[in-house]
This record gives sequence, structure tokens and C-alpha cells, in this order.
Amino acid sequence: MRGKFALVTKIIFLGITTAILALLTESAFAQKQYVIGTFILVAILALNLVYLTSISIPFKFFLPGILFFFGFVIAPIFFTVQMSGYKYQTGNYLSKSAALEQVLNLGAEPDAAGTTFDITVGKTSSKEDAILVSDIANDKYFLSTATKRTEVPKAAAKFDANGVAIAAPNFQSMTAIALAANDAYSRIHYTYQGKYYIAIESQNAGGVFRQALSYSANTGILSNSVTGATYVDNHRGNFAKVGSPSEILSPGWRAPIWFENYTRLFTDHQIRTPLTRVFIWTFFFALFSVLSTFALGLLLAIALNRKMRGRRVYRSILILPYAMPSIMSILIWAGMFDSDFGAVNSILHTNIHWFQNPSLARSVVLLVNLWLGFPYFYLICSGSLQAIPSELLEAAAIDGANPRQVFRKITLPLLLQILSPLLIASFAFNFNNFNLIYLLTGGGPTQTLNGEIAGATDILISYTYKIAFGSKTFQDFGLASAISVIIFVMVASISMYGLRRSKVMETFG
Amino acid sequence: MNRKRLGVLGAFTTAALALSVALVPTAKAANEIVVWADETRGPHLTSVFAAKGDWVPGYTIKVVTFSSYSALGDALDKATGTSGPDIFVGGNDWVVASAKSGKLAPVTLTASQKAQFTSSQLYDLTYGGKLYGVPLDINNVAMIYNTKLVPSAPKTFGDMVNFYQANKTKLGLKNGLCVTGGGMSWGGLSFFSALGADPYLMTAKGKVNTVQGFNPTTFGTNLKKYLIDPATGKSNGFLASSNTTCNDDYYAGKVPYSVIGNWEWATYVAKGFAMNLMPVPSVDGGYGHMFGSVSGAFLTSYADKHGVAVGAKSLLANFFGSTPGQVAYEKVEGRPPANKGAQSDPGVSDAQKGFGAAAALSGIPQIGAILDNKAGGSNYWDSSGDYWTQTLINGKDPLIEARKLSKIWKANVTAAKALI
Repeated sequence: MRGKFALVTKIIFLGITTAILALLTESAFAQKQYVIGTFILVAILALNLVYLTSISIPFKFFLPGILFFFGFVIAPIFFTVQMSGYKYQTGNYLSKSAALEQVLNLGAEPDAAGTTFDITVGKTSSKEDAILVSDIANDKYFLSTATKRTEVPKAAAKFDANGVAIAAPNFQSMTAIALAANDAYSRIHYTYQGKYYIAIESQNAGGVFRQALSYSANTGILSNSVTGATYVDNHRGNFAKVGSPSEILSPGWRAPIWFENYTRLFTDHQIRTPLTRVFIWTFFFALFSVLSTFALGLLLAIALNRKMRGRRVYRSILILPYAMPSIMSILIWAGMFDSDFGAVNSILHTNIHWFQNPSLARSVVLLVNLWLGFPYFYLICSGSLQAIPSELLEAAAIDGANPRQVFRKITLPLLLQILSPLLIASFAFNFNNFNLIYLLTGGGPTQTLNGEIAGATDILISYTYKIAFGSKTFQDFGLASAISVIIFVMVASISMYGLRRSKVMETFG
Repeated sequence: MNRKRLGVLGAFTTAALALSVALVPTAKAANEIVVWADETRGPHLTSVFAAKGDWVPGYTIKVVTFSSYSALGDALDKATGTSGPDIFVGGNDWVVASAKSGKLAPVTLTASQKAQFTSSQLYDLTYGGKLYGVPLDINNVAMIYNTKLVPSAPKTFGDMVNFYQANKTKLGLKNGLCVTGGGMSWGGLSFFSALGADPYLMTAKGKVNTVQGFNPTTFGTNLKKYLIDPATGKSNGFLASSNTTCNDDYYAGKVPYSVIGNWEWATYVAKGFAMNLMPVPSVDGGYGHMFGSVSGAFLTSYADKHGVAVGAKSLLANFFGSTPGQVAYEKVEGRPPANKGAQSDPGVSDAQKGFGAAAALSGIPQIGAILDNKAGGSNYWDSSGDYWTQTLINGKDPLIEARKLSKIWKANVTAAKALI
């Protein structure tokens, strides 16, 4: 009975999962996201194969993890690395074909007077799309199709209350519902004069245009028939004017620029200077945070490692900052340091603008991170202290070592041996501690009048966020990806190095 | 695999696929125009379209509401040909980035439609010589004064500061002037300009004066005289640069003057305040400039892909840009309409008209090509905010900081020359 129930449950669960994934696959392919679509399709096949057969028992446990690992770890890393080699920024989001289509659409120029006409849309007696045009200012009326223009004598036309021609011989107007059902008629260039044509601008208005820009697929050259200018692919995601390469056409497209985003980090003064400052502060912030939280956590763990009255109460209180969601804690701290209504100024009877002064803002960041981080090290230090054999400490005491010597020569080395991986992990975490900076100071203050671009408390990840998403007017995903890759390499290298060192220490131990 | 198991597998696969089809959301109708708007405009548009839905014969209109203005912006950033709207309603400062990225499509207005708007309003929605939407309503601020504290309208900036200094203790005033509308950069242009600093000046012909900048010595001296306490070298308290609840203080009668946004007036009226709207008076008896920009309804390049380009263009012409459309909408939305016919319509409130009049008196176009430019090392928005911080809070010399500000703004105007 239990077996059947489990089987039915499995099939229902798998069925729902497959259905949702199939839906996502369809959506991905419909949006031309072929890589994502293929990945989900493979996931569907793998899930059904593994869970509906006995092909591999271990895979039944590993498969969800493997799929998530590829989907949410490997793929984003791959995508970030790929995008770091592209010009991918405001103005360069589209594919080249989509950008070219838009450039050509924008290459339709209205006539100098910005002429518009009242029109009635319909078909000729030979079922050709046509518009009945009312040039009311000149009291002229004509029928226009994609191929020809036929004048309509005023006497032959019928008019509405506004004097707009709505009927003429050889013309049948279409109902609004018929027009709404298929707007292919709106893409037609209706004949006007010479190179000028009439384009549909609404259900009852048309504008006079000419196509100024044209593209030759053979030569890859865009030509402006009005100005005589020509534009070529500048291999940096835009069509640039020949002879004046700084004049580019919008929109552009995502184009590979290989290592340029990386070289800009070192050669572009506007990027290099703030980045260097941010890097130094990030390193200091991460290191100080680890050392201070570890030191305070260890101090409290040692203090509470001996029997005393109310020890459980103290321990519970010390764990509270860790138990509380950090986002809430950070926002509360931000409120406490508010210059006008904050508790800190209120208690001190001061009016200090904590977040407007770079040094004060950095101090607040370090202080709040100490508050958020020390309970973690208190917890693990408490556990680790209890794991150190008491015989070692007793033997040292018998040998005449004082408490300071016991701590320095025995307790601390043993603790470091146990905690090294955690200290490294904490460093890596703080190196990318986006929440703290974003919620507490927003990276500021930024003294822009002194030419500063990054904020005083910006760390690499918050600065990268600003580059990628911080501005509504300009976003540079390519550059942000390059910085992200560098952060990844640095944190990974530090972690690898640290872990190797901790293994060495383990060997000595 | 035996036949029984194959049968189970086949049945299972069929059921799963059938379920996936059932889960597929209903496809967008061929004649449906999708409009994206933020959390205030969305419900207002929905109610207007619910009352009258035949603005474009043959088409239905669907409004998608986002939880906030920034959520709308984020969604637009991520929009694709499949997911994007046909029309969206947003500020004019979105034009440049959206047009450059190919998200917008140009619109052509007839002469009679154009005549309903000022050239400055159309300029606000133009990039690279193409118009990308229709002006919907005016975004501006204006100053009101609490008649229970101040009997008559101030003539100069000095009048306001003198009133504050003289009555600070007697009336228990917390500050002299609040800026609740648009913050210290956007709304703050009023008193930057009132004290003598403008990010750009306009010529009599309505063009940007790319040669002349502001005089930092005059501005710095004015700031020192009117806003700095000589004893501390920091703010004298007149300008509430960091008071985040200044509007509550205004309601409580603890602040005599307030610069409010035109989307806020209903709250003040509900609390019994008169809409004695005016621009911030300048030190010499004129008025400080304010951004008189517009919000627009924009046509996206996705409308064509969805096969509703004509319907979307018609909705812009028949509703968003028309007099009857703006009257119907602004009756609910409460902002000053951009359309001239709608501005004079009896259905538009006195407060809405008052903001419109203030904009006409001292409004300048909000030119993103200059204001967003960073050629001077920083854009207008960041540098103006930093100026207040450095002088009023950190106590730095207003003249030295004014020179830095002037240099940045001048460089930004020069760099934007080709784009304006």
C-alpha cells in the first residue's frame, strides 16, 4: 500500500515538474533562447529517465543538485565570462540583425514640412491595399496604393462631417474591426511623389516620408541618400560614419571586443582610479571584519567557557544578533545612525551626520558588521574550545605556563587549525558583503565635487552593481561582468590558497 | 522496458504535456494594446478605460500595473519583443536610454495634434530628431506658504529667510523651507536657481545657451548670506536639507514654506492648506527656475512586432495626447495636463492649473543630454546633491565648492553641445 502511494506521489510530482518544465521550454524556444530551452529539455529527459527507471540509483539523489549546479552556478559564471568580452551596454543590447532593422526604421525621414494627411484605409476593386487621402489644405483627394497614385475628383468622393473623404470610386473602405485584425496594411509604403511615400501613422492619419538610409548586404554599407554619408560596421557594435568614426548610429548591437573591458580597468583613468580605491577599501573591510568578529567572538567564548551564574542567559543574548534576519538588523542600525532622528545622536546629544563623512561612514560600516558577525564566531569558538582536550591545558599549567602562555601557545594555534577554513570563508563572504553596504550606506558618501566616482564605503561588488544597474541612463553590463570575473578569480584564489595553508597546518598538527 | 511500463510512460508523458498546455497563459489577443504603467498611473488608467474603452475602434486596451516606478523601469530594461508593452507611461528622462537601446519607435503627430503642446514639451520627448511619444502631464514643483504663519506671498528669497530668523524661536519653527517634491536635486533646482546657479541657461529663442554658465562667486556669496550660520559655518536651519519628515513639520505649522510636487497637492488640500502656488522667489525679486518637464506615453518598437502598431499610435493620438483623453485621465490622476485644451478645461482643478501657471512662469526643459552627462566628472543629479552636503552639512566653503560645481556643469553643457 505504502509502495503504491509512494509511486503515485512520485508520478504526480514528476508529472507536475515535467509539465512546468515543458512550459518553460516552450517559452524559451518561443523567445529564441535556444541554450536555455535545450538545457530545460535535457533536464526533463534526465529527470524522467532517472526517476521512472532504475538506470542509476545514485543519480536519483544527485540529479537535482547537478541540474541546479549547472543552471545556477556554472551557467551564470559562463555567461558572465562571455559577456565580459562584449560591448554590452546601454545602446548595445540587441542582436546585429535587430539593430539593423531598427536603424533602417529610423532612417525614414519625414518631409521638411512634416506633412500629414487624413486618410481612410481600404482596398481597391482589385483587392489591393489602398488609402483614400484627403489633402484638405489644398482641396485635393487621391487614392494611393503601393504602386500608384490616382487622383480622385472631389465630386466623385463622399465626405464625413470633418471634410475627410471616406468613399470614392474603385475604393472600398474597411471596418475598424477588419483593420485591427491584421495590420499588414500599415507596413506598406503608399505612393506619394517621387521618393516620398505615405506611411500609416494612425487609423485615420498618414505622414509623408522618404527612406533616407539603405543597406547593402553585399558590401555591408549603410548609405544615406539625403546627406550622401556612408556608414560601416565599426566592429564595436555600431555603424560609424566613414571619415568621422565618432558619429555612430543608434541602436547598436552586442559586439565582441574581447579583452577591452579588462584593459579598460587598467588604462581608463575614470575607471582605474575609483576601482583602485574601492579595491583597497574592500580588502581592508573584509580583513578587518574577519579579524574583529573573530577576536570579539573568541573573547566572549573564552569568557563564557568557564562556569558562572547565568551563563545560559548570556549565551542566549549573545546569539540574538545572529538569530535576527541581517536585513532587519542593518535597517535598524541605519535608522539608529540617522542624523535627525537616530538613537545614537539622541543618546550622545549630538547632531553628527554619520553617513555624510567618509571616515565616520566607514567606521559605522565596520561597527555594524562587527555586531552582525561576532555571534557566528562566538558560536564556533565556543564549540571549538570545548573540543580542545583539557589534558593539554592541564599539562601546560603543571609545566608552569601562565594563562596567557597557554592561550598563545596551545589554545589559539589549535583553534586556528580548526577554524582556518571558516575564517577564509568569512573573508570571502565579507569581500562580497553586498547587503550590508547597499542597505546601510548605499556605498556613499560620494564626494562628486572632488571628482569621486565611487562612494567611500563602496566595496567591489556594490561598485560593480552601480556600474551594471545603478543608473537609469547608462548601464555597462560588459564592464561589470569583467569586474565580476576579476572578483571571482581573486576570491577563488584567496580561498584556494587559504585552504591549502590550512591543510599544511593540519599536517603540522 | 516491458510493454506495461512503456504504456505507463506514454500515459504519463501525455498527461504531463496536457498539463503543460493547460498551464500556458492565454495568448495575447491580436487586437489588444498593452500599456505598462506604475502603481499610481496603472489603476487610474484602468479605471478610465473601464469607464470608456472605445478610444481606438476595433482594439481592446489592457493596462499592466507595476508595484513602483522603479519596478516599471526594471521591467522595461528586461523587456523583449515577446514580453514588452506596446505603450508605456514614464518620465521624459527615460527617452535617451530607451531610444538608444531600440526600445522606442518614433511617432509623427499631425499639425493640429502638435499645436496642443509647447515646443519644449515635444523637445522633452525627442531624441536624435525623432519624437517618441506624446506629452501626457507636466512634472513640476511649486512653492506654497502656510497662511497661518505667513500673511502674504514673499517677494524675495531674503523675505523668507528673514521671516524664519525672526520667528524661529517665537513660533518654534523647525526649518524655513521644505523640499518634499522631487528631492534636493530635481526639486532643489528652484532654490539653486533662486540663489543664482542654473545647470544651463536658455536663450530668448528657447535654445540652450552653451556659452554662458552661472557665476560661482555670486551664487556662493548668496548661499553664505542666506543659508549659512556664521557661527558654525554650516546650515542656519532655513533649508531642511536632511529633514526627512519635513512635510509633517509643515502640516504641524513648524515650517512656513514648502516646495511640493504637483502630484502631492491633494494631500495638502485635504489637510486644509491653500494652494497659493508660486515659484521660489529669487534673491533679486524674480523667480528661480524649475524643471517643467513632462511625462509621456511612449510608443515601443514592440508594438510593430505584436501587430498593433497602428492601434497603439491611434491610442496615443485619440487618448493620451488628446484633450478629451487628458481631461478624463487627469481628473483621476490629478496632475496638470500637458495638452493646452485640457489645461483650460473646467474639469481640471485650480491646483492643477496653478502648477501649470507656475511652470509657465519659470519652467525650463529638463534636458537629459546635459543633466545626465558626466563629462565634468559628475552629472547634475549627483553634483547638486553633493553641493548641499558639503556646504550645509560638512561646513565647507560655499564659494570654493561653487567653483567646483560651476566647472562641472559648464563641462557637461559643452560636452552635450552636439546632442542638443
